Amino acid sequence: MDLTLSEEQSMFKKMFADFCTKEIRPKGEHIDQAEEPPEDLLAKAVDQGFWAALVPEEAEGCGMDVYTFTLMLEELARADMSTALILSVHNCLVVKPLLLYGSDEQKKRYLEALALGEKLGAFALTEASAGSDAAAIKMTATRNGSDYVLKGSKNWVSNGSLAGLFLVFARAEGGITAFLVEPETAGVKVGYREKTLGLRGVPANTIYFDDVHIPEANRLGAEGKGMEIALKALSLSRLGLAAIALGATERSLEEAVQFSIEHIQFGGPIALKQIIQNYVADAKTQIEALRSLVLHTAWLADSGQDFGQEASIAKLFGSRVAYEVTNRMLQVHGGYGYMKDYAIERYYRDCRALEIIEGTSQIQQFLIARDIYKAQGLEIRP
Amino acid sequence: MKIIVLIKQVLDPTGILVRRDKEKMFINREEYILGPDSKAALEAALRLKDAGGAEVVALSMGKPRAEDALREALAMGCDAACLVSDEALNQADIPMAASVLAAAVQKLGGADLIVAGRESGDTGAGQIGSRLAEALNYAQVTDVHVLTGEPGAVQATRRWGSGYATVQAMLPAVVTVAPEAFPARYAHGARIMNAYREWQVTTWNAADLGLDEAALKPLLAFRGESFPLPLPVGEQVKGAPASAAHEMITALKLQKVIG
Amino acid sequence: MDFSFPKEYQLFRRMVSDFAENEVRPLAKAVDREHRVPLETVKKAAALGLMGVPFPQKYGGMGGGEMGYCIMMEELGRVCTSTATVIGAHTGIAAMSIYLDGTEEQKQKFLVPLASGRLIGAFGLTEAQAGSDAAAIKTTAVRDGNHFVINGAKVFITNGDIAGIMTVMAVTDPSLGAYGGITAFIVETDTPGFSIGSLENKMGIRGSSTAECVFQDVRVPKENVLGQFGAGFLTFMKSLDIGRASLGAACLGGAQAALEGCMEWTMAREQFGVPVATKQSVYFMIADMAAEIEALRSMIYRTAWLIDTHQPHIKEAAICKLYGSEVASRCVHKAMQIHGALGYSRDYWVERAYRDARIAEIFEGTNEIQRVVLASNLFRPYGMRIPS
Repeated sequence: MDLTLSEEQSMFKKMFADFCTKEIRPKGEHIDQAEEPPEDLLAKAVDQGFWAALVPEEAEGCGMDVYTFTLMLEELARADMSTALILSVHNCLVVKPLLLYGSDEQKKRYLEALALGEKLGAFALTEASAGSDAAAIKMTATRNGSDYVLKGSKNWVSNGSLAGLFLVFARAEGGITAFLVEPETAGVKVGYREKTLGLRGVPANTIYFDDVHIPEANRLGAEGKGMEIALKALSLSRLGLAAIALGATERSLEEAVQFSIEHIQFGGPIALKQIIQNYVADAKTQIEALRSLVLHTAWLADSGQDFGQEASIAKLFGSRVAYEVTNRMLQVHGGYGYMKDYAIERYYRDCRALEIIEGTSQIQQFLIARDIYKAQGLEIRP
Repeated sequence: MKIIVLIKQVLDPTGILVRRDKEKMFINREEYILGPDSKAALEAALRLKDAGGAEVVALSMGKPRAEDALREALAMGCDAACLVSDEALNQADIPMAASVLAAAVQKLGGADLIVAGRESGDTGAGQIGSRLAEALNYAQVTDVHVLTGEPGAVQATRRWGSGYATVQAMLPAVVTVAPEAFPARYAHGARIMNAYREWQVTTWNAADLGLDEAALKPLLAFRGESFPLPLPVGEQVKGAPASAAHEMITALKLQKVIG
Repeated sequence: MDFSFPKEYQLFRRMVSDFAENEVRPLAKAVDREHRVPLETVKKAAALGLMGVPFPQKYGGMGGGEMGYCIMMEELGRVCTSTATVIGAHTGIAAMSIYLDGTEEQKQKFLVPLASGRLIGAFGLTEAQAGSDAAAIKTTAVRDGNHFVINGAKVFITNGDIAGIMTVMAVTDPSLGAYGGITAFIVETDTPGFSIGSLENKMGIRGSSTAECVFQDVRVPKENVLGQFGAGFLTFMKSLDIGRASLGAACLGGAQAALEGCMEWTMAREQFGVPVATKQSVYFMIADMAAEIEALRSMIYRTAWLIDTHQPHIKEAAICKLYGSEVASRCVHKAMQIHGALGYSRDYWVERAYRDARIAEIFEGTNEIQRVVLASNLFRPYGMRIPS
């Protein structure tokens, strides 16, 4: 068992780190304060292959394996979590489902635009009364000749106002079905942008679908396959969030270690205080444990194995670690950690989202437990 | 000007749960408060005191626990407080209450002005003010929204049909006030402390007021309570306020009721 | 042993609770968004005696003692942490330091306007290199005839820019160190030479101001020495020791608000066909919140009783702050988890509570310092000295 990075993976990792440190990291504070989606950075990221990460080389993509993809998200998060999440949503929740379930014609129509930075993807599943209970969505897709007519609204759609392509889930006659919808389609309206605690560079919008006519050719997969597609996409995305948690906690530890060396109290750097050393050691331990989880989950994905449960575990653990580490590293900063001049203040707010989005920690617990009991022949329900 | 304010301690309605389906009222939290109607009366009287100087005395008939309501009245700014409390008065009906309070007013030496809430928070009968005015032979103005004092009289603006009418009442007079027109002041913190630590509430029983057995026999008996008929309901959007609001807005937008 | 609150305190709680609900809560969202101090609330509070709750009426206070003060801080903390912070810093440490160590003349001259709310107070201790290590302050006060001349800069001073009176710690003899070399002064902020530097841009409690205060040859009369000359460190520590209890009370209020908000939400919100309150993942969180809140409540009011009956209370007050801030943090974390995405939205109260709660583990002595204080006091009777 050889865990060393391949030459190609090392090259990618260095390239990610260089780009993120130079271009993205210095912009993090501004993105958060101005609540400005980093459109110029996203444009620059196209050339680095960030939009085409998972698209096979044969289709003009970057052809990264899943592990390399996690390295990409890790470096992005180390520089800025909002930028990382935007690209994670795009790749995991739109590009990947298209690759897995799209017809050749659909791939031909959309893959290039998604890969070349022309269309950013967004995932529209959640509704006002269907959050954790995703299967309770009310949006309808009614057959009208060879078209479908979508009616309803979605909320908390990350990337909403930036999106060039929505992956939308609605209830058709055959069950919950996935559709590819372009925002320019008549009846699609991008609504209210949520004001959030953190991840303030990620627009999260309410999207209205008011009698939106879309051709059958825009249905992704068969009728009734929607939940399967959503859950498959969310599996990869949960691994993505674990990688983001890894980058974020590494950054937070870095900030706190630096602060503890520079900040003098009681005659020396606070790094000399045993309790500060304990905090730092505990954070490092959690980070390394998370790293192993991410690596293992990515390996399962890359070796073609089922990785859904592992991804839930990585997301559950990673989000919890992200909260605990950012919270503790903020405490290391003392009063300064509460001031917006310090990056840890932003990371604390950004990381809090991870226990909530893409399935709360409680949902992850349910999913993990369900698999355990299913293997023993017992079915459990949420 | 000498003002007597009639106050009543009532069961806090926020501790009561009404279950229409069971046609019953459940008391979740039994707490007794100075009723908002009484507070409005106090506020009206205290405003007159602020404007032109007056002596304000709070008067209540109730169980011993009503002393807390009177101490609250002291905290709000009253100069004195008096409680009429007696086992024999626990089943008092409204006519009896009025005669007891009239006796208390006389024992206090009468007043230039008596202020009460338009109706109490519990029975909501709204009769005490008028009955007291009759018993004492004072002028009366009810449902007052604006009250100002002048030598020997008060100017009161009262509800008149769909509008208002301003009348002058020569003192002595009884005035009942509309609670919505007199939002009550907060009691000053130091007065709250002093209301229990420094000041006293005068307490009288039926004998102190010279009330005989005849005066202590109620005319009315309580038979029971019933629920009004239910109103028809439209389409209900259920759920937590925030998500229900979102759903309702979405529904209205999709029906093109709002833009 | 009667654990019920005396009746005057029950009535006081009702009044403060009404005040908080009607006057403070409606502004809570706005002061956070607009990043401004609700001075209009301070004025209303002053008119009701709420700016001097613990102090005797002869000094313009309310005569409510620590018990009354904790009750008010709990009720304010329930609706707006920013407002609780503004009033808390003013009463609990600034005015308190004058009450604990001031001469009768100083109390009449400075405590009365503070207790009546005519002037706002601030506590000038922290400096850039002296946070947890408060003894490392560098601001100096040099004797010049009948005055002391103060030079230096304080940071992270709550109410710094709106205070009329500030108690300031300064070095009067660098050779003597913390005990003997530091003196506390009462400074009127309209004295020439006093100015405000920057105001901090904080994560939360944005309805309170956190200022840099600059002293350039600020002359204060020698009558303004607060407490014993050279014993300033002790004067300030005494004030901080007591201030912790009421800070814990504000945390109690915040935690209580989180619990009530969660219960309301979980009864109304349905997922999977049922109110989420019936889900074990959810109601276990709520049960844990309630358990900690009850424990904290007992701790806070027992400590207030110890203070009001002049019994030792340093350990207990440190526990109030330490435990209270951590309970509040755990409760708001759970509250956000329970509310899901809505908890992350700035349109709703949860994320503000989340941001506001975080500071309690840090200011007025970080929780690390609270543990040092607690350990020191635990080991002291055995002759064991705990270094910081």
